[in-house]
Amino acid sequence: MLIVHCPVCGAEGDETDFHYGGEAHVARPATRDPADVSDAQQRDYLFMRHNPKGLHFERWRCDRGCGKWFHAARDTMTMEFKATYGIGELPPRELMKAATGEWAEFFKDKLAKGRKA
Amino acid sequence: MSDAQFESALQSREKPTGLSVELRERTSRGMIDLRGLPDDPQFMAAVKQTLTLDLPTAPRTSTAWGDIQALWLSTDQWLILCPRARTEELLSALRQALQGIHSFAVDVSDMRTIIRLEGDQARPLLLKGSSLDLLSADYEAGTVRRLRFAEIAALLHIVSQKPDVIDLYVFRSYADYAWDWLLANGRVVAEVRQFGKQASPAV
Repeated sequence: MLIVHCPVCGAEGDETDFHYGGEAHVARPATRDPADVSDAQQRDYLFMRHNPKGLHFERWRCDRGCGKWFHAARDTMTMEFKATYGIGELPPRELMKAATGEWAEFFKDKLAKGRKA
Repeated sequence: MSDAQFESALQSREKPTGLSVELRERTSRGMIDLRGLPDDPQFMAAVKQTLTLDLPTAPRTSTAWGDIQALWLSTDQWLILCPRARTEELLSALRQALQGIHSFAVDVSDMRTIIRLEGDQARPLLLKGSSLDLLSADYEAGTVRRLRFAEIAALLHIVSQKPDVIDLYVFRSYADYAWDWLLANGRVVAEVRQFGKQASPAV
């Protein structure tokens, strides 16, 4: 049983009170005209996901509680929730630093820039 | 509006006996679903002026003034409870006051069924259907929590403590199911006696 803590309403419960919502921090290609988005960009946005063994970043929803979306950092090996944070936010710095593989790559410039999403 | 009469989803049920808790349906409450932005002072002031109560802004809390209560449902959503007969009057007053303000108020009196549980066994009984630590100090009087209860969506309101009075809100279509669940699990023979009181076993 996963124990999840909602950062919005502060409620704590098992995962049946919550709902998994896919990978976090997937940015939609920014454009006015969809024709400007290349097939490769569209493919990455729609389908390409990280699959790390260890620290992973996900979206969750406080399904039966306040109904709000939030982010969670979870270890895919131990199933432990390392932290949950707001939907518009980046993970705590120490978790960005602890990320490996594609996530480390993703957070590299964000760590350099500071906390601003 | 129409002259339709309110009919409870549980009206054919008899007063239960042989239970470890006191169980009854509350049919006298009207409910208004209110949404708006808590950091909009205009919205908060308009609501305060109409309901004479401050909307609770702290998560999972409630406020009350007279026979009107406000339950926190989400950061931008509240459930206003009032006497059923006053719902329409209150709703139109709210809409009047909230004109031009980014907000939303709807009469949802018939959306949910309120089941009131009374007695020391209320929490242990509810524990059988939920994963929350209802015996902890977090669940003091006034606490409101939406949860997954016995596989369905429900809302819990701890009305008072010692002895416990707890209101369980379920969607009307689930009222029969929830009532039956409480009847089956609330029998005196199914009472939870030791929960939370046992010393942890020596290792």
